[in-house]
Amino acid sequence: MADDPTTMKIKQFIVEEFMPDVPADELDSDFDLLTGGVVDSLGLLKVVAWLEDEFDVGVDESELGPESFRTVAAIKEYVDQARAAT
Amino acid sequence: MSETTVTPLADHFAEQAERQPQSPALIWEGEPVSYGELLALMETSSAELEAAGLPADRPVGIRAKKSPEAIGLVLACLHARRPFLLPSIELASDTLAKLFAQAGTSQVLSPHGPRSESAASLRALVDDVRAEDTPGSDWPPASGAGDVTFMLTTSGSTGLPKIVPLTAAGVDAFTDWAAEQFEIRPGTVVANYAPLNFDLCLLDIWTTLKHGACVALVDQDRATQGAYLADLITENEVNVLQAVPMLYRLLVDVNREDGRTFPSVRHAITTGDKIPATTLAALPSLFPNARFYNVYGCTETNDSLIHEFVGLADGNVPSNIPVGQPLPGVTARVQTDDGEALEGPGTGELLVWTPFQTRGYLKAALNEDRFVSGPDNGHGERTFYRTGDIVRRHDDGTLTLEGRADFYVKVRGVKVSTQVVEQAIQEHPDVVEVAVVAVVDELAGSRLHAVVRREPDSKLNSLSLRQHCATRLARTEMPSTIEFVSEPLPKTSTGKIDRKRIKSDLERSDANGG
Repeated sequence: MADDPTTMKIKQFIVEEFMPDVPADELDSDFDLLTGGVVDSLGLLKVVAWLEDEFDVGVDESELGPESFRTVAAIKEYVDQARAAT
Repeated sequence: MSETTVTPLADHFAEQAERQPQSPALIWEGEPVSYGELLALMETSSAELEAAGLPADRPVGIRAKKSPEAIGLVLACLHARRPFLLPSIELASDTLAKLFAQAGTSQVLSPHGPRSESAASLRALVDDVRAEDTPGSDWPPASGAGDVTFMLTTSGSTGLPKIVPLTAAGVDAFTDWAAEQFEIRPGTVVANYAPLNFDLCLLDIWTTLKHGACVALVDQDRATQGAYLADLITENEVNVLQAVPMLYRLLVDVNREDGRTFPSVRHAITTGDKIPATTLAALPSLFPNARFYNVYGCTETNDSLIHEFVGLADGNVPSNIPVGQPLPGVTARVQTDDGEALEGPGTGELLVWTPFQTRGYLKAALNEDRFVSGPDNGHGERTFYRTGDIVRRHDDGTLTLEGRADFYVKVRGVKVSTQVVEQAIQEHPDVVEVAVVAVVDELAGSRLHAVVRREPDSKLNSLSLRQHCATRLARTEMPSTIEFVSEPLPKTSTGKIDRKRIKSDLERSDANGG
């Protein structure tokens, strides 16, 4: 199944930023970015800053648990919910 | 300390030469050098040494690349019971000069006669250093000079290499152990891979000549050519092979290309570095008649522990290679951070006492902290050498290497061994070799960077490698950045991956913003 545009964008960003040698479509939506060492706590801040920019969603610092950003699917869900709330 | 009463190794050699003058002592560039011919080379050097009228109580320096003449010169020094410093010829000339001056050498000898240009220019340099350096030489060693033979240097890549004086009794005991363990006797052919200044030569050259066997010498300039090495083993029907893992890797490549095997080899010893499991697994098909060993040792103590791999051919390939059992007469002790001896399972630094070990570095100030006194059951107090290696003792008593104490780095406050990370990456079948280094990171303090050489046709990328590592490594152990290369990683003169160079290259390119 083809990815929706939001998921594609997220994947594109993650590989460009953290794994430039990897084609975006190889990144599985369920791949654990934290355990895989792709995104660390500093990387997480980059992801958040990008989300705010790209999707114009506010990320509340208090909600900023790493769990919300563990996988591409989780990030997408976060974006969807944040958009729905505004 | 008592003066030596040990028969010099060169005298054992001379006896062998008398008994079997026609037998080959060396194979050099495809040609045999008989025991009689090598004895003649030794006698030429002996005569030159004597004619030089050097002060009897001072060592000499030897600057020599591997050759029959160089071996003759070393034998002449051994015969004269004259201590000698034998450093790597690859050191920078001012480093060499400092070492020769520190060892108090009266003369720097070269095997190609006293008028050799390179030796002459070096001599002038040594004189300069002597004139400049106020501290002067550290000769004689505080622990006694009368029984010192070989003086080797550590491969330490920072600062001046340390000079390690070996005693005649230590060398004698070691060469007898090695001959018995690996069946080195008249008729045996032993390959010598390491450069002449390496402690490994105590096994493959000096044990062999003491016990009347034959050394097939690998030309240093061709040590990375797999086909040359394979030919050397095949043509000379080598029985005993001791080398760093790189040699085995080269032979595996040859075998893949032309299917060649090495049935003459009876004992294959890997040492100096951890052999990758993929290379280890391939060995039984290369050497159908061999027994396989991992030998652990260092210049200060010589070989200390040995592990024989059993059942490699049946796929019994340990991913974490045991360093093995202490050699006869050797005591191994695992010491925890608080300095207590660890009884039972756990991790700590490995300390060893061996019958072959040095009494300490020539520069006594370096001994503090490396050589420590401790109880040895039934032997009272003994001087142990702190190896700097962290080992794990398992429930069944076997020891495995966890890494170098100095390979431990802190990543975001957590202690991580870069060697553990390398091993996990190396277990991926597409990985040929890998180096993991900690690089300075403004935010994280330090972060891990992996340089991975993958198989030529491999599609391995950082995502699939991370997936592979995810089940093997803790999050703090996962490299922040992974770089793929197709060229071999830079190596030190000993064939080990040159992590210091990789790290400094990285830091330089970081500094240049690249």
